[in-house]
Amino acid sequence: MGKAERITLKEAGALIQDGDMLSFSGFTIWRRPMALVYELVRQGKKNLHLFEVNGGTHTEVLAGAGAVKIWESCWVGHELYGKLGEGVARGQCEKSMIVEDYSHGQAVARLLAGAYGLPFFPTALSMGTDILNPQYDMLKIAGLRDGSNPKIPRQKYTVSQDPFYDMGEILLMPAANPNWALVYASQVGDEGTMRVNAQTYTDAEVIKAADKVIVLAEEVVPDSYLRSEPEKNIATGYSIDYVVELPWSAHPTGSQGFYDVDADFIRNFYSASKSKAGYDKWAEEWIFGVDSHEQYLEKLGIINLEKLRANKVLGYSTRVKRGSR
Amino acid sequence: MTAKNNELAKAGEYKPIDLLAVAAAREVVDGDIVFAGTGLPMLAIMLAQKVSAPNAVCIYEAGSIDGRPIDLPTSVGDARCAHQASMAAGLTEAFYGQLHCGYVDLAFLGGAEIDQYGNVNTTVVGDYLNPEKRFTGSGGNPDINALAKRTVFIMVQEKRRFREHVDYITSPGWRLPKWPGGEFVHKREVYGKFFRGGVEAVITNMGVFRFDEEGLMYLDTVHPGFTPQQVKDNCSFDLNISRVSGETKPPTYYELELLYKEVDPEGIFLP
Repeated sequence: MGKAERITLKEAGALIQDGDMLSFSGFTIWRRPMALVYELVRQGKKNLHLFEVNGGTHTEVLAGAGAVKIWESCWVGHELYGKLGEGVARGQCEKSMIVEDYSHGQAVARLLAGAYGLPFFPTALSMGTDILNPQYDMLKIAGLRDGSNPKIPRQKYTVSQDPFYDMGEILLMPAANPNWALVYASQVGDEGTMRVNAQTYTDAEVIKAADKVIVLAEEVVPDSYLRSEPEKNIATGYSIDYVVELPWSAHPTGSQGFYDVDADFIRNFYSASKSKAGYDKWAEEWIFGVDSHEQYLEKLGIINLEKLRANKVLGYSTRVKRGSR
Repeated sequence: MTAKNNELAKAGEYKPIDLLAVAAAREVVDGDIVFAGTGLPMLAIMLAQKVSAPNAVCIYEAGSIDGRPIDLPTSVGDARCAHQASMAAGLTEAFYGQLHCGYVDLAFLGGAEIDQYGNVNTTVVGDYLNPEKRFTGSGGNPDINALAKRTVFIMVQEKRRFREHVDYITSPGWRLPKWPGGEFVHKREVYGKFFRGGVEAVITNMGVFRFDEEGLMYLDTVHPGFTPQQVKDNCSFDLNISRVSGETKPPTYYELELLYKEVDPEGIFLP
């Protein structure tokens, strides 16, 4: 493993192949690698296999575009700004997408196994639920648990007896090792050391679990700066393969210390995503209608962006109107 | 803040959502480690911390541990959650380092449908293999419900939401299928030595429900303005109303003032 390579957004998009298994940094509508997600849609990627601890606006951008074949996760929506994941729902109900449900903690278990180089991880979370109903194993129904795809385990989960302390039955969750981790980070050093502000979500685990890692950096800073407080960093330079320096690249999701969630933008997207035609019209304007991240930012406009800019002390914007009062 | 006015508000002086938040807050025991989701759960824990449980702490599943937000978060991943937190960690810490290892006393959760055993559906409407509608999915709901000592559901009371059987068991109540076989048994048998408790109360816009020794739901208190029969009429199953202990205590003026002036002054969840 060498030093992370600096590339452009278009080059990053071109690395992803149709059918690849992807996972993401962030949590629902926070720190998602949105600029790269838009680029994947612009480049017309198909049949993507998403494994994610939870979904969000980025999932819906990909699902609405018809880019997703398999979605393994536990949740999708836009938090307060859109209560459902309409694209995933349409995909599941119309059967154009294979949806494999896990619980949040079970999905974390799968990622932990992948991150730590273990074939599985044990958990007692969410036993006795229909998530474990063998008749609802959708990848098995689709004939994809035959071992031919190295990214799909032969079983959704298994039940084991604790062999050591007589705790009884426990679930074993198979490792998830995506082809790619698509990550948005607050700061990346010029040697690749990575830092995120505030909650770490599962960002470090996604990086370790994936075969290759692309990071969109809000800013690239001298590594020596990050190394002066190493306890705040969550990944080493040698674990990251590619870096794209791209301010505002998590928009409309939020980035602690840099900008808040763009609630109005997500509400508009959610409203459009309720039909295929609505999504297509939205994508025509915000994805295909702009050729670059810079054009996207220009279209958003500085006044909108400045309203979202985080207060340097609090880490979030104090100027966005969030409620009815 | 002026002197605490602990008089009870009268009908028409508070909204149903206010009573939901207040009734939920009253479930918090001082010192509880509380796992809360987005929305009303946040209001409940923050109100409880200000009224009756100053030593209760809050964990959000995105990884903030014992945060002391000065602005109400709009989701559990919000930057605001981590303000003055003892740790700004991640999901591995929240789900395994806090929940699985046994710190969590109480959790507030929500759901689209619930059955008489407290099993909750947040996944699909209809047959899972041919769904009519997809909801958000499980999130951390079933994990938290599995291993917190006590959980409280905050829900909307409607006949179609209180069902004999839910379409999909997303979150575990008191009687559950034991997989891979699927035979229905008590939660204790599914969880064995991992068993720590389960659903303690369900709070709706009409009443507060609890569960008997068999794990069956019964009506405990009715909210002012409703009769037990009206609540029963808004359940699809044969609700036990023989154990009603009285009327739900309305919010005090002090609680309402805290809710609107300190907890949610921006009107994010309280319109």
